[in-house]
Amino acid sequence: MDYFFIIDFLQSLVDGLLFGTTYALIGIGFTLIFGVMRKLNLAYGAAALAGTYIGVAASLAFDAPPPLVFLLSALGSGVIGILVYYCCFRFTPTHYPMASLLASVGMLLFIDEVVIHASHGMPFPYPSVFRDATIELGDVWIRGDLLFVFGICVVAMAVLFWLLYRTPLGLATRAVSQQPRAAALCGIDPTRVNLLTFGIAGILGGIAGAMTAAAVGVISPIIAMGLTVKGLIAVVIGGLGSIPGAIIGGLLVGAAENVFLLLRGVTERDIYVMLLLFLFLTLRPGGLFGSSAGRD
Amino acid sequence: MLTLENLSKHFGGVHAVDGVSLTIHEGEIFGLIGPNGSGKSTTVNLITGLYAPTTGTVTLDGYDLTAMAQHERTAMGVARTFQNIRLFGNLTVAQNLWVAQNGHEQRRAHFLPRWFKAGGEHSPDIDELLKFSRLHSKRDLPASALSFGEMRRLEMARALASNPRVLLLDEPAAGASLEDGQLLAERIRDVRDRGVTVLLIEHMMELVMGISDRIAVLNFGRKIAEGSPAEVQANSDVRAAYLGSKHKDEELIHA
Amino acid sequence: MDFYFGLAQIIGVHTLLGLSAYVVLLTGQVSMAQAGFYAIGAYTPGAMTAMFGLHILPAIVIAGLVSAGIACIVGFPALRVKGLMLVVATLAFGEMVRLFFFNLTWQVERNGELVGPNGAEGFRAIRYFPQNGWEVWHVTVFIWIVVAVVMAALWWMDRSRAGAVLRAVGHDEIAAQSIGLNLTAVKVGAMTAGGFIAGLGGGIYAHTVTHIEHGVFGVLLATFAIAYPILGGLGTVFGTLIAVLFIQGFLIEGLRFMGDWRSLLFGALIVLAMNLRPTGLLGEHAPRMKHLLGLRGRKTETLESKEAN
Repeated sequence: MDYFFIIDFLQSLVDGLLFGTTYALIGIGFTLIFGVMRKLNLAYGAAALAGTYIGVAASLAFDAPPPLVFLLSALGSGVIGILVYYCCFRFTPTHYPMASLLASVGMLLFIDEVVIHASHGMPFPYPSVFRDATIELGDVWIRGDLLFVFGICVVAMAVLFWLLYRTPLGLATRAVSQQPRAAALCGIDPTRVNLLTFGIAGILGGIAGAMTAAAVGVISPIIAMGLTVKGLIAVVIGGLGSIPGAIIGGLLVGAAENVFLLLRGVTERDIYVMLLLFLFLTLRPGGLFGSSAGRD
Repeated sequence: MLTLENLSKHFGGVHAVDGVSLTIHEGEIFGLIGPNGSGKSTTVNLITGLYAPTTGTVTLDGYDLTAMAQHERTAMGVARTFQNIRLFGNLTVAQNLWVAQNGHEQRRAHFLPRWFKAGGEHSPDIDELLKFSRLHSKRDLPASALSFGEMRRLEMARALASNPRVLLLDEPAAGASLEDGQLLAERIRDVRDRGVTVLLIEHMMELVMGISDRIAVLNFGRKIAEGSPAEVQANSDVRAAYLGSKHKDEELIHA
Repeated sequence: MDFYFGLAQIIGVHTLLGLSAYVVLLTGQVSMAQAGFYAIGAYTPGAMTAMFGLHILPAIVIAGLVSAGIACIVGFPALRVKGLMLVVATLAFGEMVRLFFFNLTWQVERNGELVGPNGAEGFRAIRYFPQNGWEVWHVTVFIWIVVAVVMAALWWMDRSRAGAVLRAVGHDEIAAQSIGLNLTAVKVGAMTAGGFIAGLGGGIYAHTVTHIEHGVFGVLLATFAIAYPILGGLGTVFGTLIAVLFIQGFLIEGLRFMGDWRSLLFGALIVLAMNLRPTGLLGEHAPRMKHLLGLRGRKTETLESKEAN
């Protein structure tokens, strides 16, 4: 254990934790949708990717400034999220979960292919901000672009918490996720709540997609798979249905990913992240914040 | 035969079942009654193993069931029906009984014939149960195509197919008319006459009072009375529990 | 002619993959790990025939057994969670297997050349069939004999108590437990059987294409695996076969002129099919002849609306 190794290790850990907030956002999106519908939306990562590409299209078409690109990415993903709701969840039977699950997988393929066709499968540059700025804490550097990613994600989470706990909309959402039938009896229209949840989750996904692309500086269709799988792992670690769980899970996945990158190299990195997931499934099937194992 | 000792189940701060002790004798029909939310269904779920108790034990003929999984308890001879009928709607009526035939005789059969012999739903045992439940003419229909009353009968037959020693009936009269209730009483006696001990959880007082050999009354998770139907009916605590709670409801409505 | 034999081979292998997911789906579990078991089945006998000169038959049986064993081991922790969590767990397992083979380099020298898995390069020269003088139609017949045996076995299982038990667990786990079924045993059993079938399929696949690499065994293949039985319906094994025929025969090969747009079409087809016919083509609730002839009572509708609640 020499000094440089420890510095490298800390550096990886810090970078990973900062980047992990994007996984946390994706995880929150999965959890929100699961909360109101008790369904898994596997097209979520693809919708986030497509939204991010909408931002890219804007920057290519009329040279939009980075803030506008980010905003369009988020909104675009929100719209696609609502589209996914109509295509995969609105009209499939609630008592047959396989139907909506497979439909969302189909949607994942569909969106992915549309993006690949529209972009000819080429990676595009994505605006990255504060690329050259760093904050030095001793020998550990905090990258400006990652700090920006972290900041935006934290702001997004704060806005989400405000929405959920301080507005009537959030009250309705929480009511539906706790007692769908009672909420319907109280005059809350579950379809509207579902629709809004898909929209909000989509916006969060778009932010996560935009920030992932901003941290790397390019965007390519490959990131959809990473976002989906890592976001799901974050949710499982944190406990499906728990927002704080998704946040902790996301940070943990981000940190673990970067540390394993340092220790085992890029090709083996993800194997260890998956192993971490299995460890959690075996030892704590309900996740960190889950109430009980395997409620579905 | 079936003994509950100091059985409790707490959900957070709610004491759904609180220190209940009961002994049910072989060959009797034992009624368990109580107002809504008094812990009757939780007690059933503790006996069958759907919930793990916070404290206490469940024993059957001296064997401790408390640590056993649900399927092990069924093998020991505990079977149940559900308040909201839970049939296998994707299987036929006969197949519903067939999958439940996991009892003592079947376990002795070799692995391959037990699991992979085709057409076993036409066995004499199943025919007998179907006749007993008056479902013989519907044996090859999907269970989902039955009427409500037929579903109740099929569910009871399915529980009997596992060859139980004690059968737990969780509100078998829920959703039934008074007339159906009388038919049900006869059916429960028939089940007892097959040599199966019955624990009847019910709401419908007439049914329980009419056929039970002994009755226990739960209120707020505690046992407040136990004895013959006449004794229980005369008990002042029981009257207070039933009438008192009604008075409270009325007060709430008028307030 | 070779083209049609090749297509028949692909259809056969994919039918095995679909059937492996079918068994697990009967218990109500969606497993995205089938591509992983298929990969294990592909690398194992590939290694045995190409690297150690084993005969094809024991090689693919061993492939099935190895996949089944791993499926069984994975089943225990994975099936502690159910429903949606299981989807995630099995998805992660499938990716883990793929990444394992991506990193696996293990080559031996045989007849003067190096054979064996070589990381990202893949595993080349699994040339058992050409080396032993099998013609393309021999291989095709061989594949379809295996497919027929597996389908017959599953069809038989569906008429036995085992099949009814799988469906019972798939319909209502709480009721299944209450009649004395051991859920873990049933689900791990189904997972093991699924692993075995996927292993057979993978083993045959490796020998028909002679070159395998990790990229094939990704999430797309796992999606195909569950899409076949769900689109075909869980009512009978033939649903899976019809779905494979349609997707591989018509959508992938028949529409070859559409190029890359076929994947897009595939996605759209799944979305559309699930909206219009959520239980698949030959689903458990699909009207059968008896019901069409008027024996199906009105009562069915009351239950379906009850289930919806």
